[in-house]
Amino acid sequence: MKEKDIYQLLNDLDFDESEVEDIEISEFDKAKVKKEVKMALRKKRKRHGWKMKVVAAVVIGGLSVSALGIAFPAYAGNVPVIGDIFRFLDNGRTGIYDNYQEYSSTVNMTKESNGVTITINDAIYDGKTVLLTYSIESEKDLGDQPFIGSYLDIKNTSGGSGSDQISKVGKNQYVGLITGSRLDEKDLDTVKVKWRVDSISIGGTEEKIKGTWNFSLSLQASDNEVQLVDQGTEQNGVTVNVDKITVTPMSFIVYYDQLVSKEVLDKWHGVDVEIDIQDDLGNHYAGDGNGGFGQENHIHWSKTFKKLDPDATKLIITPTVRLVEYTPENHGGVEITADGETKAISIPTKEGKGTEEFQMDDIVVELVK
Amino acid sequence: MKSTSENFIRRLQKQKEDALEFIIDTYLPLIKGITNKVLSPLGNEGLVDECVNDVFLSIWDNADKFRGDSTDFKKWICAIAKYKSIDYYRRATKRMEVSSENMDMNAEMSVEEELIRAEDKTELITLINQLEPLDRDIFLMKFFLGYKTADISRKTGLSITAIDNRLFRGKKKLFKEAKNLGAGGYVL
Repeated sequence: MKEKDIYQLLNDLDFDESEVEDIEISEFDKAKVKKEVKMALRKKRKRHGWKMKVVAAVVIGGLSVSALGIAFPAYAGNVPVIGDIFRFLDNGRTGIYDNYQEYSSTVNMTKESNGVTITINDAIYDGKTVLLTYSIESEKDLGDQPFIGSYLDIKNTSGGSGSDQISKVGKNQYVGLITGSRLDEKDLDTVKVKWRVDSISIGGTEEKIKGTWNFSLSLQASDNEVQLVDQGTEQNGVTVNVDKITVTPMSFIVYYDQLVSKEVLDKWHGVDVEIDIQDDLGNHYAGDGNGGFGQENHIHWSKTFKKLDPDATKLIITPTVRLVEYTPENHGGVEITADGETKAISIPTKEGKGTEEFQMDDIVVELVK
Repeated sequence: MKSTSENFIRRLQKQKEDALEFIIDTYLPLIKGITNKVLSPLGNEGLVDECVNDVFLSIWDNADKFRGDSTDFKKWICAIAKYKSIDYYRRATKRMEVSSENMDMNAEMSVEEELIRAEDKTELITLINQLEPLDRDIFLMKFFLGYKTADISRKTGLSITAIDNRLFRGKKKLFKEAKNLGAGGYVL
């Protein structure tokens, strides 16, 4: 006989509660109970519906992903639900990632190793940068700031840059955001991303937890519209040229080049150009640099900004040039000789001292609608 | 389509929300009456409301396990309400006992209390499943629904002595089984 649970046992029981008197209930109270019970149901359903979505996502992703030999052992852990990790981690409230959650896809791939479970929650690829939000659940405390010594490996790209941030949200529970940007200028609609984690360093200690948490996924670029710009400005031997702007539903990316004359290069060790953006409506856009590549005199940069105001018609781009002198404090470099001695690599002396900064003329871009 | 007294059980089992509304409209006075009777001595109205909501959620979640007509249904949800109320009552008083520093008075719990208080009741359910049907009902009434022996006597038509005997034999059996499950406690 199959074992009965309490509800079945109670069903069998011939229970007569005739001596209990009904309590009078107002319509208002009935409505209140209905509302509360339904809300509790919604909460449950939501979790359920979300599981269904995960299954669907896995099925869709299945073809490409299973070909790579990836298993999905379990879905999402018990990390307290943080609806939007993108926003949550934006502590400085720059607002860059405010619209990322709604355009990202739910992944919920989980890998467990050595008592540590890592789950990739959401993924998004804007055509340039891949962003993954993840949560970590650990049996032991990983400190306030664990460190994952790993980066996102984007296939078929010549180089990449990235960032990783992580934040503690509960006892032995963390959420994080890892990004990786392609540094080539190809427009790839799909990227294959690998994230291989083989150790997690416990914050504030030398201790490491070793394990294998390997993820591999393929991502479609979100809708994006590319506007070629090719407008520039020149000042004091530095030229800044905006090549193109890519607008996605949740962000826009500005690609720009810096060209530095020989005179400036002879005088300064380093030249960086940062850009600041406003639109004709007075909105200021916070941005995150994606790194750059190129030669000393010609570097291609890109920077991602928060969602573009749909009513904006012009972007006002203000480049700021920083000229930097490398000193042993701000520029590292040691050589380790065969017998284990270290010696600092000397920095050639150049004429420019300290840092100098100047703002260039605005580059005004008319947005094509 | 709307739920009526004819079709609401079927609609509930199909997880149609209008059936839930129908049940709340029809049975809330009764459910609240049962819950209130058990929990009102605690003087915590919030707890009564919480328990009432929990009862309806449990009905919704376990609707597929229900077998019978609307008369059986009424009995069933009354039993659930009683069971949940007693459960809430025990949990609430347990919290109060801890704060009143009379801890050592409760140091020796009886086997069924020990089991009922265990966070997971599934083991006790497993044990109760092994009793014969009449003993099973007596145990449910006594320990899950908080009945006094006199009430059970009235409902089952058995004498108080007969019920005590059955409870005693049942407890001994439970104790033997419980030992296998590694639970602590004493037979009183």
